[in-house]
Amino acid sequence: MADSIDIYNQYPLVLDPTSKAINLSSQTTTPASASTVTTELTELNALHRGLISLDPPNIPPPPLPINPKRSAQITKLRDSANTAYRKNNHAEAVRLYTYAIEMGIARPGWEPMSLAREELAGLFANRAQAYMAQQAWPEGLVDAKCSVESKPVGNVKAWWRAGKCLAEMGRWDEAQVAIDKGLEFEPRNGEGAKELLSLMEEVKEGMKRANSSA
Amino acid sequence: MVNWLSLAVPFAYLGVLIGSLATFSSLYRKRKAQKAYSLEPWFPAHLQRDIYFSLLHIDPPATSSKEKKAPAVPESVLKAALLRRAEEDIKRVLALRSQKQALGVLLQRGSVGDDLWQRFQRAEKEMEDEVRDVVSEANAYVPGWGQTIFQSANEMMNNTLYRERIAEQQAKLDEERQWWEKRRASIKEGFMKELDAEDSTSTAPPQKTEAPADTTPTTTSSSTPAIKTPESSGAPSSVTGSDDDAVLVEADEQPGSPASPSKKKKKGKK
Repeated sequence: MADSIDIYNQYPLVLDPTSKAINLSSQTTTPASASTVTTELTELNALHRGLISLDPPNIPPPPLPINPKRSAQITKLRDSANTAYRKNNHAEAVRLYTYAIEMGIARPGWEPMSLAREELAGLFANRAQAYMAQQAWPEGLVDAKCSVESKPVGNVKAWWRAGKCLAEMGRWDEAQVAIDKGLEFEPRNGEGAKELLSLMEEVKEGMKRANSSA
Repeated sequence: MVNWLSLAVPFAYLGVLIGSLATFSSLYRKRKAQKAYSLEPWFPAHLQRDIYFSLLHIDPPATSSKEKKAPAVPESVLKAALLRRAEEDIKRVLALRSQKQALGVLLQRGSVGDDLWQRFQRAEKEMEDEVRDVVSEANAYVPGWGQTIFQSANEMMNNTLYRERIAEQQAKLDEERQWWEKRRASIKEGFMKELDAEDSTSTAPPQKTEAPADTTPTTTSSSTPAIKTPESSGAPSSVTGSDDDAVLVEADEQPGSPASPSKKKKKGKK
């Protein structure tokens, strides 16, 4: 029992000499099913590529402090997207926000999650807004949901947008649920709560109308 | 001769005694070991750990002339594998921690057997060793890495979880889009009927020709030919395309304002 730490299952791995990627050698059978091993190896290779791009000694730095380069790039993209949005160039804004979101998602894993969450919450909320300006309610809804998923507290705009999208699509019940949830996270007397409440009125009216016509 | 015979009796006695004792002891031990072994391990096989060790044990390429210079696997790969291993370790440690309390309560009440508790304790001990092992390996690569490797691995795990959730949300997009397309088509159908009922004047014939072409798209597949003015965004173009038809109908009354379809659609829907 004491030497159980030294026991392991040997996998027939091979190293691609040029790309340094690890693969499962094809001819042998493996203890575990090959597909799980392969997915694990893909992740490993991806992580390895990430490590190689670091400075020597090629280990992930401690989570803090953060390398500011990527943050700066994302901020730049977001700013240009914001300007595009203000110029009513909504499609362009969506495109730029999408780039920024992709960049935020591609952040290396060892950087603090809270940072990625914060950043993506804002980006998703903004993209939702840009979608809504184009009347693309389902897209806006999904993005708003992503935003509140990333950061439920202090994100009243995203809650409002999710509610609004649902209301625009006539899904009154779901809109009500979304607004209720948003109100849970929002101080009742704040500015954001007021907007949520007024949207709630709208939703209730819509619900009544839908019920009377049905 | 007589001597041998009289001696054989005690020897035989001793032989039988020792033999039976040995058999008993070996049988007993074997059974015990089997029992302990037959207890299922708490976790499935530690894939990341297996891979890490497999990498360590890959034979160096046979043709290498300078033996020292050509390790089988570059160190960075091993580091990555170690990180993956640490990530999985964190998952397991967290799982153990969250299960411990509940299991303790269940054990006190007698709801679960002793076996389960033994398995759990074994897993706990193994994880302790495992974590210590990872830390020492990390320190062997870069001095001081042992202190931060689990921090990094923890963030990596959280980030992966978070990204999975986001991806899940984004995956719903197609479903939502299709739903909305269908729904919008049905709304428009109702709207068309209202319009038809309202004015059966000269504008009616063009509307009627328009209507059947539009009401069919309730099935999403046939809605694609309705694209007349595809807008910049790619996928929802079928939506906007069918929408522009609604504008076309209205545009009969107000010609020369196709540039603001969004406002009108809003009006039409409400």
